[in-house]
Amino acid sequence: MEWVYKGKCWKFGDNLGIDGDVMPLRFALERELDPEVLRPFLMAGVDPDFPNKVSPGDIIVAGKRFGQGNPHIQGFLGILGHGLGLVAESIPRGSFRNAINAGLPFLTGCDGVTGDVETGDDLEVNFQTGEFKNLTRDIMRDFQPLDPQLQAIIEAGGWSANLEKRLAKLRSGESAMT
Amino acid sequence: MGKTITEKVLSRVTGSDVSAGDIIYPEPELLTVHDWYVVNFDKALQELGVDRLYDPDKLVISTDHEPVAVSPQAAERQKQVREIVKKYGIKNFYDTGRGGHGHVFPIEMGYVKPGMFVEAYDVHVTNFGAVGALAIPMLIEITEVLACGSAWLRTPDTVRVNLTGALSPGTGIRDVAQKLICDLGAARVDYAVVEYGGPALASIDIAGRHTLCNTPIDVGAKSALVEPDQSTLDYLADRVEGPLELIASDADANFREVVDYDLDVLEPQIAVPPTPDCVVGVSEVAGRAVHHAFIGSCAAANLSDLRAAADILRGHKIHPDVRFLITPGTQEIMSAAESEGLLQLFAEAGAMITQPGCGPCAGGRIGGMANGETSINTGTRNDYGRLGAPDSEIYLGSAATVAASAVTGKITDPRDFLN
Repeated sequence: MEWVYKGKCWKFGDNLGIDGDVMPLRFALERELDPEVLRPFLMAGVDPDFPNKVSPGDIIVAGKRFGQGNPHIQGFLGILGHGLGLVAESIPRGSFRNAINAGLPFLTGCDGVTGDVETGDDLEVNFQTGEFKNLTRDIMRDFQPLDPQLQAIIEAGGWSANLEKRLAKLRSGESAMT
Repeated sequence: MGKTITEKVLSRVTGSDVSAGDIIYPEPELLTVHDWYVVNFDKALQELGVDRLYDPDKLVISTDHEPVAVSPQAAERQKQVREIVKKYGIKNFYDTGRGGHGHVFPIEMGYVKPGMFVEAYDVHVTNFGAVGALAIPMLIEITEVLACGSAWLRTPDTVRVNLTGALSPGTGIRDVAQKLICDLGAARVDYAVVEYGGPALASIDIAGRHTLCNTPIDVGAKSALVEPDQSTLDYLADRVEGPLELIASDADANFREVVDYDLDVLEPQIAVPPTPDCVVGVSEVAGRAVHHAFIGSCAAANLSDLRAAADILRGHKIHPDVRFLITPGTQEIMSAAESEGLLQLFAEAGAMITQPGCGPCAGGRIGGMANGETSINTGTRNDYGRLGAPDSEIYLGSAATVAASAVTGKITDPRDFLN
């Protein structure tokens, strides 16, 4: 998979709720898991026109506690459906697990990153190494990338794809460890 | 740098040097799933084309959320669970009337040992920390553990709580456990294991340790456990086969925080709606009328809770406007309560005694509430709708406080009965 995203920055503040802000709650209640169904509703609570403005490779840059609230996966599947990356100052633990399980490339723990960007800036982010470049403002940052074992889950395509991969290993008599 | 109990347990089961923050795939030595999730995991496994469990002998299945089927659907589900258990060859299946609450009876029956690593579907498996095990809830990812033997885990930090002082008269460990999660707060324990130790721990029996390990998960801790000691070994001696070993954190372990906490919380504590960490002294809410009272759940399912209630109820009747349910945690506890004459005392006072298990706390399917009603109970949570009707209010307290309130028909300081 491609770990380097090059595209426009879409900046958001702190405390975006996974239900409501990032994705309408009804999709969680309906257990909708198809990124194609979810993509027209991404960021419906804060910018209903967002799905029409973004292009694959663009990067959401968010403040603290992105995806707070009851940990529902649908918002992350909506981001995935647009082919966007995510860089956040922090993501609460339940949503962190969902972002991995959705198979979304992201960086978190990126202190102060919202101070380095404005919406519309040209960004280049390597989600494998944590290298973050704001080409518009000539800013470079080295953030902590995800643990390689979590990158492996994202590389496999998320939780269920990774689980199928582990099962295939078990069936062929190998260890299923990662 | 030394290691915490959590880091030691996870280092042992992974055969590697594990520190907080590490991503690992630890294989649990025991798994638990309750009656309401068995059909779901079977469906998920079928969709994945999995027809056998990684290790069915490690799995314990309890029938605690709806032990007495009160609808055709519930009877159908129980039948499906029995068929699924046979299909996968699961030996440790506790059907209705056997075992009891799945967060309590495995400790009684010797499935749980100090230093053991456990995973489960349900969140309050953290009770297993009462005997020094590390027990982590996985929710739906338990399916992956059942199929592959493990799932990824970020090794949690530890918040060490050193218990000091002594209980003040008329208060119990439930009062301390509620006040503690309120005082610590969600931010300090987020994704941490709360590890109890300190000079006052020796004064707390295994039942009290269940309660201490039950409450932190409700403010976002990852788990909770007690540093096992001589009373752990004494309790387990007749229950566990084979040798037992104590485990403790190193003095130079990298704790997120070390907190001293005094058992003297001054007065009985009540969690008010809508979350278990909204805790006030009983004097702030005393006098509020109640319609529903309940003693039981994994937070207060033990014989000592029933004894505390009996001490209040002796010589009294339940208030005419109150219905009072008592759910002993396990078959063993129910039997012991019978031997001590507690069940007779409860029945004569006007209480209902239900089949061991979760009781009303499992969503109010058994003995729930109507809109506009108020309950005082020993359950784990007080979200609106937890016991059925969404427009009902739930106050949480100790067994003594619940029993005193059931007699007077209003939230009552149990010390009024003990003086």
